[in-house]
Amino acid sequence: MTRLLDAPERFGPLPQMGGGFIDAIEQSRLVGRGGAGFPVATKWRAVAKRSGGRAVVVVNGAEGEPRSQKDRLVMTWRPHLVLDGAFIAARVLHARRVILYIGERHEKARSAMLRALGERTEPEGALVTVAAAPARYVAGAESAAIHFLNDGVATPTTAPPLPFEQGVDRAPTLVQNVETLAQIGLLARLGQAPATTLVTLAGAVMRTGVLEADRGTTVADAVRGAGGPTESSRAVLVGGYFGSWVEPEVAWQLPLDHETLRRHGLGLGCGVIGLLPAGACPVCETAGIMRYLAAESSAQCGPCFFGLRALADACSRISDGSSDGNDLSRLRRWVDEVPGRGACRHPDGAALFLSSALRVFDREFANHRAHDMRRTA
Amino acid sequence: MPDTLLWYTTRGAGAVTLILLSSVVVLGILSALRVQTARWPRFLTTGLHRNLALMTLVFLALHIVTAVVDPFTHLGWAAALIPFSSYYRTLWLGLGVISFELLLAIAVTSLLRGYLGHNTWRAIHWLTYAAWPVGVIHGLGSGTDTWSAWMLAITAACVAAIGVAIILRLTIGSTDPLASARATFRTAVDRREVR
Repeated sequence: MTRLLDAPERFGPLPQMGGGFIDAIEQSRLVGRGGAGFPVATKWRAVAKRSGGRAVVVVNGAEGEPRSQKDRLVMTWRPHLVLDGAFIAARVLHARRVILYIGERHEKARSAMLRALGERTEPEGALVTVAAAPARYVAGAESAAIHFLNDGVATPTTAPPLPFEQGVDRAPTLVQNVETLAQIGLLARLGQAPATTLVTLAGAVMRTGVLEADRGTTVADAVRGAGGPTESSRAVLVGGYFGSWVEPEVAWQLPLDHETLRRHGLGLGCGVIGLLPAGACPVCETAGIMRYLAAESSAQCGPCFFGLRALADACSRISDGSSDGNDLSRLRRWVDEVPGRGACRHPDGAALFLSSALRVFDREFANHRAHDMRRTA
Repeated sequence: MPDTLLWYTTRGAGAVTLILLSSVVVLGILSALRVQTARWPRFLTTGLHRNLALMTLVFLALHIVTAVVDPFTHLGWAAALIPFSSYYRTLWLGLGVISFELLLAIAVTSLLRGYLGHNTWRAIHWLTYAAWPVGVIHGLGSGTDTWSAWMLAITAACVAAIGVAIILRLTIGSTDPLASARATFRTAVDRREVR
């Protein structure tokens, strides 16, 4: 079967697509690749039902996750497949607008997309506008993208209304990740979506970067495909900064697909697999990521802004040795009080990440001695 | 004896409802003002606001049910649900029905806030500023005990408490501890670049 990154850069003109195409998506059991892993067919049906020729399609290439590179890669190397997916969405959902929402720092990706757009002759090309997504973690969230396109402010908003009810221009809106749209493109072209997932390997692997994993591929296979680990691993971060730390011996056997991981209580998220080398300090690493996530709170909800800051501060005090000895018990208590208390899922993701750190690095957090942070950086 | 018991319950529950409802409104205004001290964290205000509001509904239900089932009054359920349909003190009772129905709408929309969205919820929650005075007028107009010293004292205290809270709200305004952080973040993401 053709894989995403092996597919021809460009196929011929788009085949005709009817409403029956949503059934084909449903049969392929495709889920969104932006992080939430939501079933694509369900989302399309919800928009199709309300569209009435007004729907808006947002092509989400914001890719704000610092360690992820796969969205940029798809836009840069297979822009026509992304446009295929976007045009099909526009056709099937009777959309009035298509917006390419591309991270402002992803210049190569944007120019590749614009070049590809210039080569297209389908009528959907005339529906397309381009927006530069601010380079912040939350800017890629569905509601933040819609808020930005409506009001110029890329912060998440409360739901309801959900995007399919009221999104860009208050019209039913489909916000779909670029990898997902490329998958849709291949599904339309070949009658079958490739059962693959793009993952970004980060940290202590020989070749960091993007890999296309076939269904059934395990973390161990992917790491082997990237030349193996540079040294023995202390833990594996599955799913990026909103994911979880996992013990290496457990992680190696995990398959890289959303469904199976969910059954393990994990998530593939945006597809980042990060290897923490045994020589690094897990506490300092966790504290650094928590500081980042706290700083990325858009300061709209108190529990997120103050909660994440308190969590990050406590982590930092443990990591730099200035803790009064109570911070670890505070962390264990507070980490359960943050989720579900923000308008968006930012606090939930950060708390999930920290919970996994407290579990997997239990020993290190309890026995952490201050040391020169530069040594572990 | 049961007849007078029901009648006393109606009057007592009405008075308790007024006290509880006024406390709920004061707490609501204080939560909007983000009042907090070292010993009184903000979640206490909102938690108390919510729980007292549910308790208010219980006493309000008691007030209405005992009034209707009291065989002496002959009010009937329609009088309790349709404004100005009561033969007895038509205007004053009608105001009570309106106040009750507004409060019911406010409570139900609060319980369903997750499904309604913030703006809808907030717009309906503002109806409190109608429900409370209408309820107070209902009490003054139809209350058997209105002019007894204890009831006058209760009513006056409630009106004074709400008055002070509203004045505080209008003069102090809301001090949002997130305001500057939010403004900083917004300058980083506030742009409009669609072409």
